[in-house]
Amino acid sequence: MKRALPVLVLTVAGLIPVWRYAPSTDTSSSTEVAEPASTPSSSSSGSSGQVVAGSTIKTEKGPVQVEVTFEGDKISSVRMLQQPNHPQTKAAVPKLIASTLEAQSADVDTVSGATITSDGYKESLQAAIDAKA
Amino acid sequence: MRRAEEVRRVEHIMGLPISLRIDDGDIDGDIEGDIDGHVNVAAADRVFAWLREVDARFSPFLADSEVSRLDRGELEPHELSPDLVEVLDLCEEYRVASGGAFQVRIPGRGLDPCAMVKGWAVQRAAELLRAEGVTTFCLNAGGDVVSAGRPWRVGVRHPERADQLCTVLEITDGAVATSARYERGDHILDGRTGRPATALLSMTVVASSLTEADATATAAFAMGAEGIDWAAAREGCEVFAVDAERRVFRTQGFPVAA
Repeated sequence: MKRALPVLVLTVAGLIPVWRYAPSTDTSSSTEVAEPASTPSSSSSGSSGQVVAGSTIKTEKGPVQVEVTFEGDKISSVRMLQQPNHPQTKAAVPKLIASTLEAQSADVDTVSGATITSDGYKESLQAAIDAKA
Repeated sequence: MRRAEEVRRVEHIMGLPISLRIDDGDIDGDIEGDIDGHVNVAAADRVFAWLREVDARFSPFLADSEVSRLDRGELEPHELSPDLVEVLDLCEEYRVASGGAFQVRIPGRGLDPCAMVKGWAVQRAAELLRAEGVTTFCLNAGGDVVSAGRPWRVGVRHPERADQLCTVLEITDGAVATSARYERGDHILDGRTGRPATALLSMTVVASSLTEADATATAAFAMGAEGIDWAAAREGCEVFAVDAERRVFRTQGFPVAA
């Protein structure tokens, strides 16, 4: 869900001006039909909140559409109306290769490690490499 | 085309050992140097002068540095240097991207942008070298590396054995940074809790710039176990991480040397 969040935030951010200034006529990007509204529409949901459905946005993972409830100018809740079928988290994070920790020594030009202090340098692999160079 | 000489130099600046190696070779483009071709020596001088300047301007340990003056409220936002504004903007970018784990203003402590300044300053130093016409170099600042011009073999220190490596990678033009606790103890705090980050033994990130590699490694280390996926998902970053159970995770694109 972590990776889905930026998409959601962007969608919401994009939605606010649309809701404020113009009913969207952009239905060309909509790929689903069973959506409650392809143009932003508002309805009172029984409370003081105003519910707005955003337009459908195509992402590389599939169409995304959110519904936002406003309390005045503030967003009080966001609900996904459409989301890609496969989980964002798995699709977005490159596959990690797992292995066990090994120790090796090899001929290298330099060494990357936790930030070493000038005191610790004397004993370090990097100092040995610098001395040899 | 002229030839420039080899440079090997180590200096201690910002409390870090900084090793610069420039290979001899052709001088790129129409660069002014003295007639004997001491271009590389002059470029190296500029790199170390720049890093000493950074220390004087951005160290939170020097009372008259710009960072200390800002922290004491002696500078208004419009009085800050463009460099410090750039660094603080980067800090904010990584704070937001890491959900608050990367934090240069921990409550109860002063402003300490060191975690960002080091990578940023050394990346800038590498750009200085390129601007001076240096084509083939390897710059290592306390374990963070920027390289250019030919394949360089970079060992990643084993998190538990100081005399061993846990992997070797190869980069030509790029940067490598590692965050871990074995050198300076629990110095990386999770900005969300203010407590030391202890879930990882070591986090290494390869990226096109050291600014990105270093800040991503530090932020991911501060995030803990979830930092591995987070760093792996960042565009242009390749990751090699060791968690507290000594399991190793690396991205498929991590450039392990043959």
